[in-house]
Amino acid sequence: MKRLVLARRENPTRGGQPLAFLVGLVFALVIGALLLWSSGDPVIDTYQRMWERSFGSRDVISATLNRAVPLALAGLAVSIAAKMGLWNIGAEGQILFGATAAAGMARIGDSWPGPVLITAMLIAAAIGGALWALGPALARSEIGVSEIITTLMLNEVALRVIRYLQSGPWKDPDGFGNLQVTPLPDQAALGNIWERAHLGVLIALAVIAFFAWFMTRSVWGYELRIAGSSAKAATYIGISMRTKVLGVLLLSGAVAGFAGGIELTGTASRLNENISNGFGFAGIIVAALALMRPSGVLVVAVAFGGLQVGGQSIQLLGVSSAVSAILQALILFGAIGAGVLSAYQIRLVDRKVA
Amino acid sequence: MIFGGITITEASVIGLIVASLQFATLLYLAALGETIAERAGVLNLGVEGMMAMGAMAGYVGGVASGSPWIGFLVGGLAGALLASVHAVAAVALGADQVVSGLALTILGLGLANFLGDSYTSDTRRSLFKDVDIPGLSDIPWVGETIFSASPITYVAAALGVLTWFVLSRTSIGLGLRAVGESASTADSAGHGVAAIRMTAVVIGGAMAGFSGAFLTLDTVGAWSEGITVGRGWIAVALVIFGAWRPGRVGLGALLFGFTLALERRLQPFGIEFSPILLSMLPYILTVGVLVVISYRARNQPSPTPAGLGIAYRREER
Amino acid sequence: MTEPAVELDGIWKRFPGVVANAGANLTVRPGTVHAVLGENGAGKTTLMNCLAGVYLPDEGTVKLHGREMRFSSPADALAAGVGMVHQEFRLVPTFTVAENVVLGSAPRVISRPEINRSVAELAERFGFSAEPERPVWQLSMGERQRVEILKALWRDAQVLILDEPTAVLTPQEAEDLGRVLRQMVGEGRSVLFISHKLNEVTAFCDEATVLRGGATVASSVAIADVDSAALAELMVGSSTKSTETDAQRNTEMGDVVLAVDNVSVTDSRGLTAVDGVSFEVRAGEILGIAGVAGNGQRQLTDAIAGLETCRTGSVALMGDDLTSATPRDRFRAGLAYVPEDRLGVGLAPKLPIAENAVMRHYPKMRRGPILLWDRAKEFSAELVSRFEVKVGRVEDRLASLSGGNLQRLLLGRELSSEPSVVVASQPTRGLDVHGVAAIQRLLVEQRDQGTGVLMVSEDLDELLVLADRILVMSEGRVAGKFDPAVASRAEIGAAMAGVS
Repeated sequence: MKRLVLARRENPTRGGQPLAFLVGLVFALVIGALLLWSSGDPVIDTYQRMWERSFGSRDVISATLNRAVPLALAGLAVSIAAKMGLWNIGAEGQILFGATAAAGMARIGDSWPGPVLITAMLIAAAIGGALWALGPALARSEIGVSEIITTLMLNEVALRVIRYLQSGPWKDPDGFGNLQVTPLPDQAALGNIWERAHLGVLIALAVIAFFAWFMTRSVWGYELRIAGSSAKAATYIGISMRTKVLGVLLLSGAVAGFAGGIELTGTASRLNENISNGFGFAGIIVAALALMRPSGVLVVAVAFGGLQVGGQSIQLLGVSSAVSAILQALILFGAIGAGVLSAYQIRLVDRKVA
Repeated sequence: MIFGGITITEASVIGLIVASLQFATLLYLAALGETIAERAGVLNLGVEGMMAMGAMAGYVGGVASGSPWIGFLVGGLAGALLASVHAVAAVALGADQVVSGLALTILGLGLANFLGDSYTSDTRRSLFKDVDIPGLSDIPWVGETIFSASPITYVAAALGVLTWFVLSRTSIGLGLRAVGESASTADSAGHGVAAIRMTAVVIGGAMAGFSGAFLTLDTVGAWSEGITVGRGWIAVALVIFGAWRPGRVGLGALLFGFTLALERRLQPFGIEFSPILLSMLPYILTVGVLVVISYRARNQPSPTPAGLGIAYRREER
Repeated sequence: MTEPAVELDGIWKRFPGVVANAGANLTVRPGTVHAVLGENGAGKTTLMNCLAGVYLPDEGTVKLHGREMRFSSPADALAAGVGMVHQEFRLVPTFTVAENVVLGSAPRVISRPEINRSVAELAERFGFSAEPERPVWQLSMGERQRVEILKALWRDAQVLILDEPTAVLTPQEAEDLGRVLRQMVGEGRSVLFISHKLNEVTAFCDEATVLRGGATVASSVAIADVDSAALAELMVGSSTKSTETDAQRNTEMGDVVLAVDNVSVTDSRGLTAVDGVSFEVRAGEILGIAGVAGNGQRQLTDAIAGLETCRTGSVALMGDDLTSATPRDRFRAGLAYVPEDRLGVGLAPKLPIAENAVMRHYPKMRRGPILLWDRAKEFSAELVSRFEVKVGRVEDRLASLSGGNLQRLLLGRELSSEPSVVVASQPTRGLDVHGVAAIQRLLVEQRDQGTGVLMVSEDLDELLVLADRILVMSEGRVAGKFDPAVASRAEIGAAMAGVS
């Protein structure tokens, strides 16, 4: 008798990840087409419209880029922590709290000139994000509490912090009874640089480029690679794992918080609980698909940005915008399958005789 | 009755207890399922998505069949089907459990919204009706609350007892726990690690699906996008709060259910405290419990399954 | 004549780059305790793993009571009556003793009092006490071992394999184990006892099979007919390995460069791994530490390098006390360390060659927060060429290097800062002939330049050729000091085997 087993290939297929991503994309589009077809929706029209409304013209490309900004920064935040084998599942909460801190800064400096105020808001956002990661970071470095659940739990808390501020402390007196915070001062908005794309696109690009450079060229990034590769090797040459864990989680939180600040100043008129819109979770998928590499994060974030922007447009065809979320998740599952197949091969072996 | 500015009426107390039990049932079903998966060593962060699938499918099934029970089963089936994606990706293919679970949440929410899109229909005839337990339901206060609850509340309690029994008193449960604690030990004792883990994940998905179906077929009585509002994450928290034990998870469900119910009922009691701050409590308590568990783990083993989150592949031979 | 309980015939087992078993044979009579003897790396554990279903042999047959078997998993083997107690116990720490014992063959519905009672009865039958309801994490290593044995007995295993069972036992516990084993073979079962400690083998076992280099060199020798010295010689063999390095012994020794005084270390399990060890290394000598692996050598060298804390005692380098210095400070002070685990401790496997080459030296290659990669690459290139590490480019993955080149890179990195003391743990283990020669030559060069070298090796031949003095470690203590010029292999071997 024979049975199927997975066997590790001697030489894993080279350059696999871009290919795995493409396989995932095709897999997602095929399953998505089946779903659309089975519920009587037009397949070709839907996909065509999604494409047109995400990459089809300068105007929509600029909207896609705007959407890619928080995805890319969240993905970067996740990938920084992952360099040490840590999971920052709390990017969502850090984005929210970063945006909250930025909004707080705008309340303080509502009479400051735009550039000063925006700079102060972005710095506050990064600090806010790091603060939101501080608890899980300390718990991990000092007591060894898994960061996965603690960061996850704080997402829900951050959401409620914003709700609380809306319900009273920061409530808009001119809101006609609506639960919303006072709007940001006009000068707190990032200007547009190209079509609808705001300055945040350039800032995000610069941040990612900086980290791509910093993580490879700095002493800190180098020590992080050693610690991530082998904790014993790090100890052997005298690197403190505790401070590395603490530092990397705080930095990851700061980047996510910064994303919240950019999103607030770039696209929102006031702080609200949808400011993150699932970017933290999508960022984890983005980072995983990019194998935690900054350049990959950039590419995947733009693709996901397009899917999200395009997904909103198909409602006009009478198709649920949920197609976009389905496709994003299916890309990941498809890529997982493709990744395993490239590292393994399925073999027929003899079943045991006994 | 008025105590220090807090107004208590019979109606408000009964309303509070009824609502607490409803939330507790909802949370317990999902958390029990997650407990089973995690005791087998698989973290499934897709609870929110599986719940949404169960909510949508349970509702559609209930409306189509006219029977809430059939709807409930359909909801469980939908949760199980979605969970099987995680079972394949995270167990059979060995993908990272965190990534796969989060993608499952995104997939489940998306699928539920897509498939349940524009699904509206009159459902009153397909909803669960509370069960009055003869004799007991006439007892004042207690009878109107505990002995006149949704049938699913009793089902959840029964599933809790069943889960406790299977985990702690049967060879299957012993094997499942061994797989979660030390997969290699269980493997060398002859327990199939992948099969047990995948089964546990699928059962966990079915229970999250039940939880979602309870939401649409009982608590809310309708399906709408975003109906789960993050309850799946509380269920994940609850598993930790209950230290991975069915009984304690049940007590935690009552406590968390009570805080959820209280959130909306502070004002009727005349309490001047932001319900939003109260709603943060379950998450903060869970983080606190996790810290205590890890702190204690210096001298005694942690209740966290030792193999949680770790993919297992037998040494190559 | 009765059918043998176990018959292994012509077993071959190869791993990438290593042949673990090369046609090994073994025959075990029922009702006997059978010793499987051999030096470390002789292939004892691999052979037993082939019998216990952990590995499938590449060639050869496994027979139980005359029937040929092919086990695809340990569970298979257990079902056929072969149980193995590994050195790393396979127990669930949070489970009770009884739960661990019945795992895999429990009644469908478990009544705790009932399984507690049956497990207690089983233990009693074989003459040891057990507390079935205690969680395993509370037990000592010896008690855990008994749970492992009970697991096999619960399945009614007819053949029980024990891998180095006494390594974790106190002398009293070891004696108790001996009694249990006699009880078991009294019932007609067979026990396979993997060991390298001759005194225990002679005390517990009826027959012995000796392995060397993966093959059987003596089969089913009756213990009663042979003395320890003869067994020791079979194990160690006559000196067949030639060491290319022609090391001239150094007659002029310098000052003390490394002083280890009364050092004790507790291992991760809370047991004493190093027990009051003292010695000195002088400039221009190689001090060899011989001993069977697992007798505290690793913890000793880790403590010298600062990776383990000393419970007692002190470590001084060139007269400066470094007992509480960090690993980095010790390196800066002139202590180079080649750890036993090259990959994972000495080198970071996932990083490129250059990043590994500068792991010790990068603090001198920075400008502010920026690492000067040009300088790092230059340094790596020099290192690679000076120590003849065969690489494509220094940007390549470390994984592309062979074992010998990995060790040259590691040793080269440690030597490139002109240390005053080199501690090298198992520096030639697993290398091919050329690799061994190159590493040995580098160490001898260091000695000749006046560096103090501390070399830990399981290969006695190597130490006999290279070392100026040999110190034998056994059970965490110094079991003997020898002058390789005059000491015999048998003498040193006896000290290694714990025969006093």
